[in-house]
Amino acid sequence: MSRQTQGYIAAIAAIALLAIFPVKFGSFSLLSLLHLDVSILSEMLLFAIAAMSVNLLLGYTGQMSFGNAAYFGLGAYGAGLSIHYLNVHFIAATLIGTAAAILGALIIGPFLLRRRGIYFSLLTLAFGQVFYFIAYRANQFTGGEDGMSFPRPYVGFAGWHTNLHEATFYYLMLIVFVAVLTAFWLIVRSPFGRTLQAIRQNELRVRYLGLDTNKFIYVALVVSAAMAGLAGALYGLLIMFAAPLMLDWHQSGDFVMIMILGGAGTIWGPVVGSLIYVIGKDIISTLTQTWQIYIGALFVICVLAFPRGLLGTLLHAIARRDVGAPIVEDTMPHTAWETGTPTGAAAVAVEQKEL
Amino acid sequence: MLANVAPSVFNGLILGAFYAFVAIGLSLIMNLTATINLAHGSFLTLAGYLAFTLVSKGTSFWFALILAPLLTVVVGVLVERTLIVPLYKRDPMFSLLLTFGLALIAEEVYRLIWGPNGVPFSAPGVLGGGISLGFMQFPTLRLFIALVLAVAMALLALFLWCTKFGLRLRAAVQDTEMIAAMGTNTQLLYMVNFALGMALAGLAGVLASGLLGLSPTMGNSLLMPAFVVVIIGGMGSLFGSIVGGLLVGLAISITTLFIPAANEIIMYILMAVVLLIRPRGLFGTEGLFG
Repeated sequence: MSRQTQGYIAAIAAIALLAIFPVKFGSFSLLSLLHLDVSILSEMLLFAIAAMSVNLLLGYTGQMSFGNAAYFGLGAYGAGLSIHYLNVHFIAATLIGTAAAILGALIIGPFLLRRRGIYFSLLTLAFGQVFYFIAYRANQFTGGEDGMSFPRPYVGFAGWHTNLHEATFYYLMLIVFVAVLTAFWLIVRSPFGRTLQAIRQNELRVRYLGLDTNKFIYVALVVSAAMAGLAGALYGLLIMFAAPLMLDWHQSGDFVMIMILGGAGTIWGPVVGSLIYVIGKDIISTLTQTWQIYIGALFVICVLAFPRGLLGTLLHAIARRDVGAPIVEDTMPHTAWETGTPTGAAAVAVEQKEL
Repeated sequence: MLANVAPSVFNGLILGAFYAFVAIGLSLIMNLTATINLAHGSFLTLAGYLAFTLVSKGTSFWFALILAPLLTVVVGVLVERTLIVPLYKRDPMFSLLLTFGLALIAEEVYRLIWGPNGVPFSAPGVLGGGISLGFMQFPTLRLFIALVLAVAMALLALFLWCTKFGLRLRAAVQDTEMIAAMGTNTQLLYMVNFALGMALAGLAGVLASGLLGLSPTMGNSLLMPAFVVVIIGGMGSLFGSIVGGLLVGLAISITTLFIPAANEIIMYILMAVVLLIRPRGLFGTEGLFG
């Protein structure tokens, strides 16, 4: 059995496992075993999608985005505001939220594309905060600092409609998640996705080949925003609430961390990361008030000890075994920090000379 | 009109000086080691709390003003040597995430030690009153702060341009490998550079706590404007950070006067305009402070 077939089987098994998690066998279910609520699982899937959106930019395109919470929050506010003021249904609210995020990325994208490297991160960080302050300040409209709560409308489709309880919501999320995952997989395997990966490895060379890298990164940014916005809109509908903190750079940091925890540049990495992060946070925050210390420590340890992430380390080990040491870099998805891209002052100099 | 606007302008300039101060520290660390230090605000807050503890233990404010930043430098350098150094060779993303994690830890630790709300920390009586400038009264504390910040910036400039070590530091930003090949201990450069950033953050922290109120999130409220200042002023430009800081401070205070709701957005608008016209920032050049 080839590694590829094994990969497909593992993926299908993982999805099947996610599907049977909440199923009750008599009074027993995998969820009750872990003392978890089904909405935590929904949250886990949505955070995984948000982390995948970061992964497209950082893991595949090599652009460190530290502002994806902006799109996530725009999604949540888009859904919330449209329900509150326009009384729209579930699907419309989701689409409006996603569209709001796409619009946000279309507007700030040209500014972000002005720089690369750590300055790109700085710009994403700073521009992300714009939306935070807008939501914070427009308090007659958005509820300001306290956020806004809104009802979860029913899902209607061609005359048929149903209310969403937590369990049905979870299965809907699972369907969305599988769809996004498949789309993501297709994107990174497409010529477009390959070009993004080429940009990560050597943007200058891609430009020499006659491709407008700005255009590619712009599209990647918008696709990433769409994913984050979709996740945000659905997350808003899950907790029936939108608050400025969802737009804050701390939230962006969480998404990046989820991606790194699992493994940057891998399809399933963000899912693994989200599983650890969301469920870990849920458990820790019931045990102690000072959970923020433990989350922070998790970041520090992960960065120092497992920079490839959990899944990344595993895949790396498998690839190593297949090939035998020394490892051929091409058997693994490249990550910028493995390909000898100049870091530090050199990277700054390169970035500045190019512009 | 003047009586309204003048205090705003002064206050804006002082706020801007803080932004510039934090921005220079960030910029120093970013330029040499490509590390975006998200924990910079945490160190700033730490200095404020250390000064508060020192003063409440009976030391004088003046002594605390010197000692607290020094202690912050010690803590900062320890953190840099143990946690950040291993990441210098890796993608900048990792140091960004590490310092982000540190900031999360620090905020919670401050809450545990000094309580979730602000603590009262004010300057001694000498600085309490006001000075008449003819057309307006101006608080002495603010003038004092402006003076200290100006002196510190001048000292930093002297260090960078008039000492051999400063020369090496500026050279290392342009080409670390070359300066290493010529026999300079680059690790020492990194350490001193980080210590400089910490000293600036520490001084700003002690001074800011009298002005902004000392709370676990004080530093972080200065951090984001400082990033914007770095972008506006131009990465790697000391002068740019000063001009950018003052510009942002002024813009904020004047907007607060006329359109209060937009006072946080204004700096982002400024940033967007600068990026459109001059993507490298107002004074951005290749290399550090060139």
